[in-house]
Amino acid sequence: MKHIAMPERREGPVDPMPKQPGPSEEGGGPKRPDIGSPDKDSLLKRMRKVDPKQAERYRQRTGE
Amino acid sequence: MLNRIFGLETEYGLLVHQDRPDHSPAWFAHKLRDHIFNVQRRGLLDLHHRGHDEPPGNGGFLTNAGRMYLDMGHLEYASPECNSLTDVVASDRAGDLVLQQAIDDLGWTDDLSLIKNNIDHETDATFGSHENYLVTRRFPFTRRGLGPLVTFLVTRQIFTGSGRVGSASPQDAWIQVDRLIVPRAALGHGSDRAPLPYQISQRADHIVNDFFEWVQQNRAIVNTRDEPLADPNQYRRIHLLLGDSNMAEYATALKLGTTGLVLQLIEEGHAPRDLDLNEPVESLQEISQDQDRQWLVQLQSGKTISAIDIQEQFLAAAQTHCRGQDEETDWVLNQWEAVLRDLRGDYTRLVGRIDWASKLWLLESYREAEQAGWQDPMLKSLDLEYHNLNQEKSLYYGLLEEGRVPRLITDSAVTIAADHAPKNTRAFGRGELVKHLLAGGSPSEPDEPRPDERFFPAYVINWSIFQVRGRAPFPMPDPFKTYVQDVRSHLQGVIPDPLSHQ
Repeated sequence: MKHIAMPERREGPVDPMPKQPGPSEEGGGPKRPDIGSPDKDSLLKRMRKVDPKQAERYRQRTGE
Repeated sequence: MLNRIFGLETEYGLLVHQDRPDHSPAWFAHKLRDHIFNVQRRGLLDLHHRGHDEPPGNGGFLTNAGRMYLDMGHLEYASPECNSLTDVVASDRAGDLVLQQAIDDLGWTDDLSLIKNNIDHETDATFGSHENYLVTRRFPFTRRGLGPLVTFLVTRQIFTGSGRVGSASPQDAWIQVDRLIVPRAALGHGSDRAPLPYQISQRADHIVNDFFEWVQQNRAIVNTRDEPLADPNQYRRIHLLLGDSNMAEYATALKLGTTGLVLQLIEEGHAPRDLDLNEPVESLQEISQDQDRQWLVQLQSGKTISAIDIQEQFLAAAQTHCRGQDEETDWVLNQWEAVLRDLRGDYTRLVGRIDWASKLWLLESYREAEQAGWQDPMLKSLDLEYHNLNQEKSLYYGLLEEGRVPRLITDSAVTIAADHAPKNTRAFGRGELVKHLLAGGSPSEPDEPRPDERFFPAYVINWSIFQVRGRAPFPMPDPFKTYVQDVRSHLQGVIPDPLSHQ
């Protein structure tokens, strides 16, 4: 898990907290994903467990 | 971020996994709400009518000063007032945590899921993610003054969109053209078109107007209802309902941060001019649906320009006028610049940061592995699963587990935000009120009410005012003030703090 440093949650009416965004590749964002990396398999495994009918089961009302 | 109060309202979809005809999604939603308030005691249910669709008991304020309630059959969570991006991201995540913990606590983890998205592929229902930004009353809230905001909002979806498989059915879709609302089919966008594989925004198909004050059936790019929930002489609340619910903390922060800076540019007269769109609503949908991701729009001047170029003009203005004002501003400027640069390249560079890119990459990976076409119904189910709050199932959380998602806050910050309000806004005072009343046994029925208390509910809590036991109302008109000491003093005069006697 990567963390991009933002100012931390403020606990009082204090000055904005310091901490610069940590240097990382591609302008401060996460690394470019390696599409061919082995961990893609675990994501595919997770995707294959999804109930193919769940979009039909969803049946939501319009909100707001 | 400088002088800005942020808030997010999220309507969740509820997915019942098993066929249980005796239990509708609405039944589960009611049970979850009741568990949160009556068993877990995370807040106080309203005792008064808040409106025709919010009877007593429909929802209430939590100890973190946000609200949990039912709206049009959906569980909805409104974050407390936040004065920083870090706080609003944590508070938004806190709503997810409270709801998922209720599901787990009830032993329903395998029975249902809450889906933080905005559409139902099958019914074409849509439900919102609403953003709130406090501005001064001097904000130029006119069609001309709001022109730059409309242009920014229409084009920001290239990094704020959550993506979806397909599109809303054309027969149900309406669109504004030349200030008239017409069926989209009348523009040749009818059912004879090939099905759309994927688009970058969930809500774009459902926005039909540029300005309007109501929220159902006629959703606008800028909602014009004047309800500041604060001193109306000082403040206005910009209420936006065109955005998607974001799973990525980074996208949430970038959405709120860039929009906050553009509001500042408009307030200070520094927003880029001559960027008014020819047809904002049509452009919103065209950008979302552009399969080539060229994202070209036409300006009123007749010029054709890309959404990235437009965003870069807003970024340049913000760099000039806002850089250095505080650290969150500089973070937003740095990330805005990085994302726009990456959007010019392979979309996979955005995976983990931008939701539409993450979801598209997952779907493309699945399609490649399974040799599935875009019309495979499984893709709609995967689309939903990206937004599942259940971290064991969610595709977003799967990406996070694999180290592909940057975090902006820690899990412990989310846990804290679920129970405690930000300590630098009005939410702090309200959170103290809720905790005090809960600790005192939530006096819905005082044992021996005074004669003048008999006809009042034990408490009435709203965003900008509260009243306890029929005593003098306590107004909180300034969201930048915590009111916490005054609230504590007020409560001591009404209900002694039970903790002080222990």
